[in-house]
Amino acid sequence: MKKILIAFLILIAAGAGVGYYLWNKPHVNLTNAKSDIAVDAKTLLEEYQQNETASNEKYFDKVIAVKGNVAEVMNDEGTVKVSLETGDPNGFVVRCELSATAPHARTEFAVGEPVQFKGTCSGLNFDVQLDNCVEVR
Amino acid sequence: MKKIIFLFAALAATTTLSAQNYFTRDGKVKLDATSSTSPEKIEALTKTASCVLDASTGKIQWAVLLKSFKFEQALMEEHFNENYVESNKFPKATFAGQITNLSEVNLAKDGAYNAVVSGKMTLHGVTKDISANGAVTVSGGKIRINAGFSLILPDYGITIPSLVSDKVTRDARIMVDASLEPMK
Repeated sequence: MKKILIAFLILIAAGAGVGYYLWNKPHVNLTNAKSDIAVDAKTLLEEYQQNETASNEKYFDKVIAVKGNVAEVMNDEGTVKVSLETGDPNGFVVRCELSATAPHARTEFAVGEPVQFKGTCSGLNFDVQLDNCVEVR
Repeated sequence: MKKIIFLFAALAATTTLSAQNYFTRDGKVKLDATSSTSPEKIEALTKTASCVLDASTGKIQWAVLLKSFKFEQALMEEHFNENYVESNKFPKATFAGQITNLSEVNLAKDGAYNAVVSGKMTLHGVTKDISANGAVTVSGGKIRINAGFSLILPDYGITIPSLVSDKVTRDARIMVDASLEPMK
């Protein structure tokens, strides 16, 4: 009887532990993540502009390492957004929104500077949007 | 007399030319699906909504990538994407509509105006007519739009499991805030 009770208590504790872990599950941190695909900003935008559905199949929610030159850096009420040049005639870019929770060695970038970010691809909204970004150094 | 006509014609031409699109890619959209009985807030924010406004016709379009919504809790963010809006199948939510009281909103003149917008909202593969009241502020060549409205989630094929119905409301409140600049 005692054994059953102990086993039962352990089960409850384990369940509570799992629940607690899930509830407090940390946000995506790509610092040590391996990227699924590496691509340059120009190619990524062009592929999306040519075929959004196929590009979503290829890139959506995957960890993308994207290379490009900084077109613009914006600090939008604490959210840092770095645009990468694509040469698009309408000025559309690849936008990398830096992760709010992962540590960053720096959050300032010079316009024109070559950089590489890892981020999860959220799709095309004029620009290609990457979220949870961290710089690849 | 000829000169005056010419002047008028020139003026009309420049007015047509200056009628243009306003745009942002940094619009904020806040989603609040907290039910009145929920102990925790079920809120999310994106700062990368796009909005295009044609100042001459009052046509307005919004698009937001659902995956760009940030929740405080990672688990909520995961459930939102995987179980509710299914962002892998439907990555975008869009609204395409029209300022219906454009005669009362002078987008060419600094000031604060009340705007009524109605149009089609597409979310989770379902398109519905909606309308909303908003505030439009024109200042120094920029147009700021603030609006709030409700979305009945089951109308868009998003079901709230009964297990969480005390936390997640069917009637989500959406708040939008965008500062548009002339499109280059």
